[in-house]
Amino acid sequence: MKRHLRLFGLYFAQYFKVRLAYKADFFIAFFSSMAASVIGFGFVFVLFTKIPRLQGWTFNEILFLYAFSLLPLGFFNVISWNLYEFGDLYIIQGRFDRILLRPINTLFQVLFEKFRIESLQEVVTGLAVLTIAARRVGGHWTAADYAWLPVVVLCGSVIYLSVFLILTAVSFWFEDRVGIVPPVFNMLTFGRYPLTIYNVFIQFMLSWIIPFGFASFYPTTHFLHRAQFNAYFHLVPVVAAGFFSLACIIWGRGVRNYSSTGS
Amino acid sequence: MNGRVKLDFQPAVRALRVFGQFMRVGFVNTLAYRLRYYTGIVTYFIYVAVYYFIWKAIFEHGQKIEGFDFSQILTYIAVGWIIRSFYFNNIDQDMAQQVIEGKLAMDLIKPVNVQSMYVAQAFGEAVFRLALLTAPTALVLLLVYPLRWPAGWASFLAFFWSVVLSFFIVAGINFAVGTLAIRLQSILGLLRAKYFLLELFSGLLLPISFFPHAAQKVLAVLPFQYISYVPVLLYLGKLRGLAMARALGVQLFWVVALMALGHAMWRWSTRKITIQGG
Repeated sequence: MKRHLRLFGLYFAQYFKVRLAYKADFFIAFFSSMAASVIGFGFVFVLFTKIPRLQGWTFNEILFLYAFSLLPLGFFNVISWNLYEFGDLYIIQGRFDRILLRPINTLFQVLFEKFRIESLQEVVTGLAVLTIAARRVGGHWTAADYAWLPVVVLCGSVIYLSVFLILTAVSFWFEDRVGIVPPVFNMLTFGRYPLTIYNVFIQFMLSWIIPFGFASFYPTTHFLHRAQFNAYFHLVPVVAAGFFSLACIIWGRGVRNYSSTGS
Repeated sequence: MNGRVKLDFQPAVRALRVFGQFMRVGFVNTLAYRLRYYTGIVTYFIYVAVYYFIWKAIFEHGQKIEGFDFSQILTYIAVGWIIRSFYFNNIDQDMAQQVIEGKLAMDLIKPVNVQSMYVAQAFGEAVFRLALLTAPTALVLLLVYPLRWPAGWASFLAFFWSVVLSFFIVAGINFAVGTLAIRLQSILGLLRAKYFLLELFSGLLLPISFFPHAAQKVLAVLPFQYISYVPVLLYLGKLRGLAMARALGVQLFWVVALMALGHAMWRWSTRKITIQGG
């Protein structure tokens, strides 16, 4: 464990140096993707100049939900970069051979060989907007609330990671060129609005099949005092742990199934 | 009038032929990735679904906002995404990629206008997508949602040409942005910001008339709303007669202006150039 932590530090530092080779580019990437996050909220912002609330949710509450959703997403984006190209780079080009030769966990290597560092802006932007939104929503935050926040953010990241790990692991069996990842990635948008606006089918899907609801909507209900979702809120760590175990099992099977392309 | 007036069409014919050839290249290149379009249809379907539910929640009391009722706004959103599957292109990303891989040198030595080469290839792709992405997406959305038909034949015709012009507006913007890659080296973050900016200010996410008045005034003198908002208004029959002609005229103006801008930026960018690797 300690060794892995040290390695994580080394991997991160190494990649950070790579990125800083183009210093100007790195800063432009950081600030322009920050602008992207802010503009991403433009739709809701304009919308609420026309309507007072969205099915009982006020502007500030939706703002809180949006800001919160950026936190797990930011952490996930930082480490998920390699997952998108996994099929092409590691399976088809055979880079996975190299991974197998090293005495470190395969998943650890794949995730931490490359970082999308500028996505940390999502965490920064998210925290800033979250603070503003929380203040405007009002209500008292107990010590327990402050303790829960990092826990559910972590769980949210783990849920995103698990879903995309499962989808990525599929490329151990199919040399996936069709790409099921983009449509699922686009479903992240669903989680930025109260789940209650969707029909039963989508609500069920976002809770139990692709559990994005547990990564953004259900966690925020606690801080926005919607007691009817209490049970779901307390299930967040359970769902995260469950899906992560499932993802690890599928990944493990995939690794065993891997046969090199021989190139 | 005895003087021999000889019109020389040769350069124009040659330019068109080159445009046609690059269009074909774009078309054939896309053919190789046709499987991607199945997931593309799903993706667009998901987008429209999300906004369907959001707007349904907004219109739960059956009111009208800025002259739009629920059925109109649903059509607005769906048609907006349908035409996006046609006009959308990746010229800027392709150029950024060329710069990163150091292949830009190849573009420079080709004896053709680089801008029209990129635009032609993208247009070939767009024609391809029209058949494999736009049409099926439109069909699926028409079957699932109660969408409105075009307001009339004149509206539909104007809408059609308007969407073609949209493509060239987007292509013009993307090429101009793409030239920035030459001096900035890598512009992926910038492209992401542009992506969200276009989504919002083109009117894809919601009609421009929903924006605060000050914002509307600014947007009126920018090309963005001519990408999605104006074509869809034509479809819905909210622009007729003179307004219709005027809309198409302004679109045409922006096509010319943006192409000129891209051309100037290309010349400026390539004056000093660094090729990576090779």
